[in-house]
Amino acid sequence: MSTIKELIAQFREVADNPKKAMDDYKKETGKGAVGIMPVYCPEEIVHAAGYLPMGMWGAQKKNISKARSFLPPFACSVMQSVMELQLDGVYDELDAVIFSVPCDTLKCMSQKWKGKAPQIVFTHPQNRKMAMSAANVFAREEYAILKQKLEDILDVRISVKALKNSIAVYNENRAACREFSDLVAENPGLISLKDRHAVIKARWFMEKSRHTAMLKELNDLIRSADKVPFSGKRVVVSGILLEPDEVLDIFEEFGFAIVADDLAQETRNFRQDVPEDADPLMALAKAWTAFDGCSLATDADKPKGDILINAVKKYNADAVIVCMMKFCDPEEFDYPILLQQFAAAGVKNLQIEIDQETTSFEQVRTRLQTFSEVL
Amino acid sequence: MGESVKTIYTLGIDIGSSSSKAVILRDGSDVVSQAVIQVGTGTSGPARVLEKVFEGQKIGMDDIAYTVATGYGRFSVKEADKQISEISCHAKGIYHKHPRARTIIDIGGQDAKAIRLNDNGNIAQFVMNDKCAAGTGRFLDVMSRVLEIPLPEMGEVHFHATEWAFVSSTCTVFAESEVISLLSQGVSRENIVAGVHQSVASKACSLVYRVGMTEDIVMCGGVARNKGAVDAIEKELGKHVIVVDSPQLTGALGAAIFAYEATVKPE
Repeated sequence: MSTIKELIAQFREVADNPKKAMDDYKKETGKGAVGIMPVYCPEEIVHAAGYLPMGMWGAQKKNISKARSFLPPFACSVMQSVMELQLDGVYDELDAVIFSVPCDTLKCMSQKWKGKAPQIVFTHPQNRKMAMSAANVFAREEYAILKQKLEDILDVRISVKALKNSIAVYNENRAACREFSDLVAENPGLISLKDRHAVIKARWFMEKSRHTAMLKELNDLIRSADKVPFSGKRVVVSGILLEPDEVLDIFEEFGFAIVADDLAQETRNFRQDVPEDADPLMALAKAWTAFDGCSLATDADKPKGDILINAVKKYNADAVIVCMMKFCDPEEFDYPILLQQFAAAGVKNLQIEIDQETTSFEQVRTRLQTFSEVL
Repeated sequence: MGESVKTIYTLGIDIGSSSSKAVILRDGSDVVSQAVIQVGTGTSGPARVLEKVFEGQKIGMDDIAYTVATGYGRFSVKEADKQISEISCHAKGIYHKHPRARTIIDIGGQDAKAIRLNDNGNIAQFVMNDKCAAGTGRFLDVMSRVLEIPLPEMGEVHFHATEWAFVSSTCTVFAESEVISLLSQGVSRENIVAGVHQSVASKACSLVYRVGMTEDIVMCGGVARNKGAVDAIEKELGKHVIVVDSPQLTGALGAAIFAYEATVKPE
């Protein structure tokens, strides 16, 4: 039986080396991989085809130069990074790339794909809450087109049975991820923030049932581990993603533990299951219309504030730290609303800026140190 | 009679991006000595400011009970017993000097911050500028060079403006181009200086609006020495802004007070 340390090392190996994970998958299965652009995608369709869905979340410390020819300087940092990587040919070994277009930047990016792999663009309906039935029908049709295009590109047929099975595999993985996050919150001194992130990030580059099996083993070990004394501050983090490791190190330097996250790269992708439905494409469509809490998924009721405030209560957190992706306008537009909701609920909060290009973290350090002193 | 009480000396060092500051405090309240060197972290500034703050004093480093370092270079001060963020230190220093302060505007070399204090002088909320030098001391530095007006004279020149020029507050590099363009159009340097200060004010006040504005509003940091910038901020806010004595030194003062508190109330 593996130890916590050994299992986490395996997750980290995948999270830090996605290309190797993809190559290993190809070697083992004889199948290929399909790129999944941020932020939300019915990956189950790719999984049902037997291909490996690979998250495309950019990279840290990448000098951005060629991307400037195609993107304005104020495009968000993940997209700058993804554009640079595609121009470098990093994504050329993918068999296809799937773009959702829930924000202006993704919409424009989808029209500028420079990689060799064929791209499939689909639209999430944003009338999700106000006209849910129509939105379900629209989303289902978009997913059906996506499925058809994928079948044509990969030359495979995706059966209803396979798709239902993949939805079950993904729901099981989502449940394991939620349990992992909760177990870490119960014993915050046990797993470092970098390790927590690596375990969750690895799911973007692993076949999900394999990730689930490893994660269940890890969850069992965490559940039976001794409590590690922790005297720091418990925080809920929100945003698109929380990287690089240097930022997580600064969190730990000032005694912060993440007891729950509302990150698009992490919990927002496993907070809710895909519901049961005789028609698996409709089930996936309903998952989108039921989804809550992301600025890229329109909801006039703005439930994100309540989701975060409830997380603070549920996990006995001291505060919320909003990790604002630089130049992510949907998140920035929602931030003033969040601030009002935090103030009304008396929730202490801080904003830090996340930038995949930066190599200097002094501003983040100053903000986090001050916040730790204030708390 | 009671036994004699030993005097406690504490030291606060604020190593910023463009200057180094130090304050020696006696018994948590009396400033024994203070010093500023106009170069900051990664330079000779930290060593020189330590030398300077002890110049002419009867005490030396061995007499210091506790040292707190703050500012961007706080983790490189080997003499420090503890590092505390400059936001906490400025808040502490300002509240010590002006207990009615509730909103603080701190504009340093490469950062601008707005801090809201509660009635006990604790930080209720703070915000910093995003990763951009616009609206900071560095911005004024660049403009001073383009305008060929020494930085210390910018404040005085501001009051000779007849009509404030418009200078963007988006980006230092873009703003520099705008200033060059204004110069080539024959706009007076006085009017451009006022426009530059308005640009700084616009950035700084956007932080104040975010943090919430409660009087008294107090300004500190190196830019507070520029009366033109303060004037532009007052006009933007429509409020009186108090500039404390030695505004560049409030971070070091706050650090020295924290150091004193650590000696009398150890954690």
